[in-house]
Amino acid sequence: MKRMMLVLAVLVLFAGSAFAQGTIKLGGIWTLADITGKQGSAAAQLAVDEINAAGGVLGKKLELIVVDDEGKADKAAAAVEKLATVDKVDVFIGGMASGAELGKIPAFKKYGKVVMSTGAAGSATVEKALGPSPESDFYFHLHPWDYNQGASYAEGWDAIQKKYPQIQIKKIFLAYEEGAFGKSSWDATKVLFGSDKRYTVDGASFKSALLGGGDYTAVLEAAKEFKPDLYIWAGYDADALPMLEQAKAMKFSPGIYLGAPPGWPIGFGSSKLARNVMLYGMWSPAINDINQVSAKFYKNYIAKFKEEPATYFAPLAYSAVYIVAEGIKAAGTTETGPLVKALEQTKYVSPLGEVITFKPSNIIKHQGITRQKILQWQNGIQEVIWPFETATAEPVYPFPAWK
Amino acid sequence: MRSSLRRHTLNIQAVKMTIKQRKAFILVGGIAIAVVLVLWKPTVLIYGLQAAGLYAAVAIPMGLVLGIVHIVNLSHGEFMMLASYATYTVCRALGVDPLVALIPTALVTALFGWVVFQLTIKRALKAPELNQLILTFGLAIAFSQIINLIFTSQTYKLSLEYSSMSLDIGDLSFGVWSFVFVAVAVIYAVGLQIFLTKTRTGKAALAVGQNPKGAAIVGIDVYRTYGLVFGLSIGLVGAMGALFLTKSAIFPGVGSPFTMKSFSLVAMAGIGNIPGILGASVLLGLAENFLRSFRGTRDWAEIVYFVLIIAVILSRSLKGEKS
Repeated sequence: MKRMMLVLAVLVLFAGSAFAQGTIKLGGIWTLADITGKQGSAAAQLAVDEINAAGGVLGKKLELIVVDDEGKADKAAAAVEKLATVDKVDVFIGGMASGAELGKIPAFKKYGKVVMSTGAAGSATVEKALGPSPESDFYFHLHPWDYNQGASYAEGWDAIQKKYPQIQIKKIFLAYEEGAFGKSSWDATKVLFGSDKRYTVDGASFKSALLGGGDYTAVLEAAKEFKPDLYIWAGYDADALPMLEQAKAMKFSPGIYLGAPPGWPIGFGSSKLARNVMLYGMWSPAINDINQVSAKFYKNYIAKFKEEPATYFAPLAYSAVYIVAEGIKAAGTTETGPLVKALEQTKYVSPLGEVITFKPSNIIKHQGITRQKILQWQNGIQEVIWPFETATAEPVYPFPAWK
Repeated sequence: MRSSLRRHTLNIQAVKMTIKQRKAFILVGGIAIAVVLVLWKPTVLIYGLQAAGLYAAVAIPMGLVLGIVHIVNLSHGEFMMLASYATYTVCRALGVDPLVALIPTALVTALFGWVVFQLTIKRALKAPELNQLILTFGLAIAFSQIINLIFTSQTYKLSLEYSSMSLDIGDLSFGVWSFVFVAVAVIYAVGLQIFLTKTRTGKAALAVGQNPKGAAIVGIDVYRTYGLVFGLSIGLVGAMGALFLTKSAIFPGVGSPFTMKSFSLVAMAGIGNIPGILGASVLLGLAENFLRSFRGTRDWAEIVYFVLIIAVILSRSLKGEKS
């Protein structure tokens, strides 16, 4: 009997170790209560399932282990520790808010495993904390930094005005929420559009509904008085429709009305008020028409989760898993050194409508996407207006006057 | 003895005169400010009153509970949030307008509030105040987390034509829908005043609020009254939850700022002073919008909220010390 137990125990141990040998572990960290984290982690799992169904990587299955960082730096740091020491993951992926990402960086540096980051735009905090090459070479940043985003907006508006002469922008007004996100947007806008005197820039702050505000009358009054050609608001999804309703009530209709929240409220596109509102983003279902990878991702995501991916963080996380998988295939290992070398050669045709490669940014060596897109809500769909190579529709201009 | 009585009567008359004079002074001052604002900054008056209406309509039910049950309900805003989500779900499922769902929502939330009272708050009424605070704070967290689990942190908003109704006066165009909150606040204040002073149940509630032991001695069921008042308060804030959905987006944390604002307004007005909540809300709404109307003071609007609270409470404390 004892001998049988011993044999059984050895078999179990052997089976466990064989299973472990047959798995490449990805440690995903997201804020799961937030739609970006919920859908980002779901999309990453979709990519893992697709890759496993196609035979896995190097003959092994991928396994995604997700930990919730609750959007907090301390929880994010603890998540890295847990994934590195308990789960012994091979690669880290995920991330959204810069604050939480900042908390992970010391632990990332301690373990030195490859990180495929899907969020964190704050260059002054996250990129600075990562530091220059070679100490940050393990870190692959897919999402554009804030200065990349700003530069791409300026480039986009220049290109749009050149291609569509009827669109002329001289005066820009930024309504920004009074928190850190809004204030940094205001500082960046002043520098980006106001420094060379090509544009006259003005702005005013408002308290976001997300933080207990929701009264936009004062900021809209200020904007109406300024008569901007381009009105931008930098706030949260909770501000999107109420601000439009108040703008309509006050008969404020600038040439271009653009929102720059991290996500849009559910059903925003179905509102009549959403018509021709512009936005900054990275992906929309409209890209399915011009990009097969996007169409495949979209179809499989809906089939698996019975809901539409609502934010670009879903295709971004999906891309992150594919890039890591291809990197491991090319490197033949998950060891940091060879994997970093392999990932540097990445040319991934992503569902975001562009080929992702890694180039140096201001501080780190491995920056993925650098361009945001300018989109417009047309008939309930986010159509891509710029970059022109991924455009799905012509811009509608001016923003219609309220009827 | 007779001269002492006469002196006392004269004193009372003098106090009454002073109160009347003060009320007249406040009325004249208020009218003067309104006239100045209409001529100089009409938007301050319009948006200030709209904001005041919203603040007061949410704060008055909290004032009712604090005045009678003597409990600071830190889950007050979360009850409103729950009602907003319930309304949203019903509106989406049945395709009805939130205004249609308003009365059923109020009734259901009143019942829910009564159940919550019976299961939790009733058991903490004799506990130290800190325990009561922790209990209602715990309820607030539980409510928002449950909603977070069900609906996620994604925001929801119904797009309603009437929310952007506007009125043009000369060059000025402004939204009028938010005046509905002013109407609701006035209805709540007047309705509760009538309920508390003219109805048998209301008088019993007032008696319980003033002296629970005395009320019990004369045969009033104190805990039943507490439950009723708590349920009524939650029903009123539930109705506001349905109305709030017509103006704002909802998300799990949407209610908590209203708890703090409501508590501060109740504190400014004085416990049990429901008309005072209206006055405090108007003061706050106008002051906020006045500061927002100038470029240099636009960011100070949040500070005025704290300054007003500190000033009012401090002046009341000083006055108390003097008397």
